Amino acid sequence: MTRARLAARLALAGWALLAAACASLPPENPPLASYAPESGYRFERLERGDNSDELFVIVTFSGGGTRAAALAYGVLEALRDTTIEWQGRRRALLDEVDVISSISGGSFPAAYYALRGRRIFDEFPDRFLYRPIQTSLVRLALWPGNWLKLAAPSYGRSDLAAEFYDREVFGGATYADVIARNRRPFVVLNATDMTTGTQFPFIQDQFDLMCSDLAGVSLARAAASSSAFPGGLTALTFRNYAGSCQYRQPAWVALAAADHAARVNPRRSARAENRLSLAADGPARPYIHLTDGGVADNIGLRGPLEAIASTNHPWSVLRLMNRQRVSRLVVIVVNAATNPATGRDRSAAVPGLIDTLSTAATVPLDNYSFDTVELLRSTVSEFDTGARLVEGCNRLSAGKGAQCALELPVPHKVELYPVQVAFEYIGSREERAWFKNLPTSFELPRETIDKLRALGRRLLAEDPQFQNLLKALNGCLAGGATTC
Amino acid sequence: MEYVKVKFPTRRRVYIDEEENGYTNEVLRIDAGTHDFELGNLANYRPASRTVTVKDTTVLEPLEIAFYRKEDE
Repeated sequence: MTRARLAARLALAGWALLAAACASLPPENPPLASYAPESGYRFERLERGDNSDELFVIVTFSGGGTRAAALAYGVLEALRDTTIEWQGRRRALLDEVDVISSISGGSFPAAYYALRGRRIFDEFPDRFLYRPIQTSLVRLALWPGNWLKLAAPSYGRSDLAAEFYDREVFGGATYADVIARNRRPFVVLNATDMTTGTQFPFIQDQFDLMCSDLAGVSLARAAASSSAFPGGLTALTFRNYAGSCQYRQPAWVALAAADHAARVNPRRSARAENRLSLAADGPARPYIHLTDGGVADNIGLRGPLEAIASTNHPWSVLRLMNRQRVSRLVVIVVNAATNPATGRDRSAAVPGLIDTLSTAATVPLDNYSFDTVELLRSTVSEFDTGARLVEGCNRLSAGKGAQCALELPVPHKVELYPVQVAFEYIGSREERAWFKNLPTSFELPRETIDKLRALGRRLLAEDPQFQNLLKALNGCLAGGATTC
Repeated sequence: MEYVKVKFPTRRRVYIDEEENGYTNEVLRIDAGTHDFELGNLANYRPASRTVTVKDTTVLEPLEIAFYRKEDE
């Protein structure tokens, strides 16, 4: 081969590579023509149907690959099989679930339930749980035909994964399909904004800030963003069209941002500033890079906690409580966190780089998750303490005689049931250790998945708060401690 | 968690930061910080709105935010 022919062939190959790279840009999230608070994927827009606000049920699904998806799926099955007596009739507790907040692996059953409702129980195991997803993703990344795509700077392994999920799991569905279903639960898939480190929920309120229409985003891209495990998978890129849709921030944002210097409520001020930064005209950040939701909160509970403790939240439960619409609040936390055993301390050898880096990456997340669950406990305790204090004062004063009766006004009473499904509540040490050593992967043996499904059901049935709830609602879980 | 009681001679809807949040003369839960309080679009009360920083309240001592009828002037 002459030098000229070789150069020509190399040039042709280079051109082909460039053309393929340019052609393989990931699908863009569409712009929003104009801000429309009366439409889009919003909690208050969804039909309640038979689902009452009085019994408000929030479920959170943690990250943890297929392990988390199977545990979450087992809990969904158990909620389907839990019958309660509510407002004069018997019904499945699943039909009372109002919100699902999910992270990473937990986002797959969450998104599928948002799209297909109860058909998840016929379809999801074969479409996702029992499939060798991880092997498929690795094969796709290694297939030379995809190398050209992956060579493009704006296309990563997560884009490839999103295409796979779109084709094989969600059948090309977008949020427009979820909106068209128009029923609760309001399902919130969470990713992490790489730049701010804050949670990025896939709801229209968040996309309003970027003047983008969530209806045109595929569920596959949302699930891929939520599960873009750092290192193994790449971040996904979204366009920010801020400033192009006449968006108006809610009234509280300017007030909370102005509170910054006075430090009245730093968390609220930070939320306001984050909204302002994303919606800054220009836009100041034309591209938003999203990574795994677990980086900001691996159990998906932070959003629900804000909704319970703040009136300034896109789906504030506190507002509903103030309006006396909620009388019982159930929060079911499904946490598939593990704690793999290590032989590190049996040796004097200095731990290696990978061991050290993986410890640095996972330990802060686990500690943060622990604190998040503690925050739920303290929030519940704050509600209980407040109510008990007023009732106690009223009782004490009344005991001193009618002339001393205070009759202090009591805030609307809400009974709270914080329920936890987590491996740490497995009684047997041996069994607990087995589950706590499961790997984080998008592929597990069928019998492991079946064990996780059964465990989700069992741990839910064994939770003391869940048992209290069943007692209060004359309920039962088929196959659980209380016979139906 | 903070507590407020919006006082008015009659039962009215309370709007906090432009969102409906219960009724007057009841103890309402709210997060700490500066908030806007209104009684809706009716024009027969004063002031039209109040911007108040809510902090350091307890359930036994909610912050009281008063509105008045215009005819009481």
